[in-house]
Amino acid sequence: MIAEIFDALQYAFIQRALVAGSLIALNCSFLGLFLVLRRFALIGDGLAHVAFGTIGLGLLLHSHPIYVSVPLVMLASLWILMISEKAKIHGDAAIGLVAALGVATGVMLASVGRGFNVDLFSYLFGSILAISRGEVILSVMLSLVVLMVIVLFMNDLFAITYEEEYARVLGIKTRRMTSMLTICTALTVVLGIRVVGTMLISSLLIFPAVTALQVARCFRTAIIIAAASSVLSVVFGVFISYLFNLPTGATIVYVSFLLFGTAYLCGRLF
Amino acid sequence: MKSRTCLAVMLSLLITVHWGFPVHATDDPGPERLQVVATLFPLFDWARIIGGEKSDVNLLLPPGVEAHAFEPTPRDIVAINKADLFIYTGESMEPWVRNLLGSLTNRSLMIVDSSEGIDYMEEARHEGAGAEGQGRHDSIHDHEKEAARRHDPDHQHSRHHDKIEGHHHDRHGGKDPHIWLEFGNARKMVNHIARAFSEKDPASADLYLSRAAEYNNQLIQLEKAYEQTLAGCRHKTLVYGGHFAFGYLAARYGLKHISPYQGFTPDAEPTPKRIAELIDYMKQSGMKAIFFEEGIEPRVAKVLGRETGAQLLLLHGAHNVTKEEMARNVSYLSIMEENLERLTRGLECS
Repeated sequence: MIAEIFDALQYAFIQRALVAGSLIALNCSFLGLFLVLRRFALIGDGLAHVAFGTIGLGLLLHSHPIYVSVPLVMLASLWILMISEKAKIHGDAAIGLVAALGVATGVMLASVGRGFNVDLFSYLFGSILAISRGEVILSVMLSLVVLMVIVLFMNDLFAITYEEEYARVLGIKTRRMTSMLTICTALTVVLGIRVVGTMLISSLLIFPAVTALQVARCFRTAIIIAAASSVLSVVFGVFISYLFNLPTGATIVYVSFLLFGTAYLCGRLF
Repeated sequence: MKSRTCLAVMLSLLITVHWGFPVHATDDPGPERLQVVATLFPLFDWARIIGGEKSDVNLLLPPGVEAHAFEPTPRDIVAINKADLFIYTGESMEPWVRNLLGSLTNRSLMIVDSSEGIDYMEEARHEGAGAEGQGRHDSIHDHEKEAARRHDPDHQHSRHHDKIEGHHHDRHGGKDPHIWLEFGNARKMVNHIARAFSEKDPASADLYLSRAAEYNNQLIQLEKAYEQTLAGCRHKTLVYGGHFAFGYLAARYGLKHISPYQGFTPDAEPTPKRIAELIDYMKQSGMKAIFFEEGIEPRVAKVLGRETGAQLLLLHGAHNVTKEEMARNVSYLSIMEENLERLTRGLECS
């Protein structure tokens, strides 16, 4: 078994899956913690739908969908935030609203453009086994940015997540913080979808966070547990899927679920 | 209030429907041009060659739409209702045709199932490429089985039965629907189309049939070129990074094929072990090319290419063409000629 794992490590695509996958997972686990606490857990799925909408536009503008997707999905994420603040709707409903609109836009524009020339989904949605070198570099840069934001503003982010009013009294620029968090999320989601696919992005945003919240007693521990469980699930997921010849993305989701189950039991027992 | 809205909707629907039909009944233009609707690109190509100036051929699939995902819109159905000929590939390629036929009101429409008389192969499953690096090729085996079954007196019955039963599990019904990618089948399909044209327009029957015969000669030429070229190749196995549409062609020329995907669905994720096996296989056999399908970003093929240094070559399944290809006037023949060139390069044929 150990020998087989060493075999697996010789392939560049496995190495890439481990490196880029772990980095994206790390990002998602940090952001996921704030998102889950603020009831924005499904934003990964929601923004994936918005990304679909931008396919139509990319089609009309004859440009690679990713260039259109990144700015537009960022805007959409800010819009979700605005709706949930201004219109007295909870985050989940705001996500649903924008997501539905995104899909409708995609269908509408695709129809206006008389069909897709190629299967654009394959350009927008990636797979953890098919990561290119460019995408590895992209994941490294992305995680540097997100990590910097989290480390620099850790306390502020924590404050606005638990008690927004109090944070405002303390003089924290809550709006700016929230927008920054949302933009980081949008960036992670769009680029992450391109690198590891929709299913993994939404599971990596939710699982590590809920796992950590089962056992953690304070916010710092929660962040550490979330980060550890996300990276563990990717690494174990990749190796298990290699050893037992299973699809990798789905295996990672199962490993995440297993970690969550363990955390849940631990949380009850101790 | 509510019922009034309802009534208004019903009325406007009625008016629309009423306007929909007389166009066909009364506004018939004097000089008869056969109105033809074809589902897939090869059928469209053949119909426009056979019909020539005597027909208006429309491709039902808009350029670039993925063939397996297509379903007709209401306006498509109206167009079919106004046509003289409707040509489709076969039950397993276009399962929606069966439902569509039930809803048609056009009694003079002639429906051409171009797969009539063609023996379907079982869908190829890409297992194997085992430890010794040899792809076990199911479809050759299936082809033999199919040939044996042809002598079976109950064959017709059993095939029909399979067709219906196969409908339950997946979109292809367990049959490989890509029949047009083998020249013997293609000739049969061309003949079906020509015969349908002649029946609809007996006055020009000779013209249609002679055009079909001439075209079939071109197909035979190309078939010979394939036979000669593919007989002398260094490699006998195609590494394919997509859903493999060339089962008939591969079986015909004794080629094997392996793919990272387990079944036919391009959406299913390949497993890492499978990809690793393919990389090892390509390295061992010294294969310098990997083929990919049209219309998608070949991500998995790119992975294989990066690991082995093999080049990526397009093997065009001709389901449908892009707008650009349509503008460049590609044809079934030109696509197949280009495929042969790339096969020659990829399999290192002399």
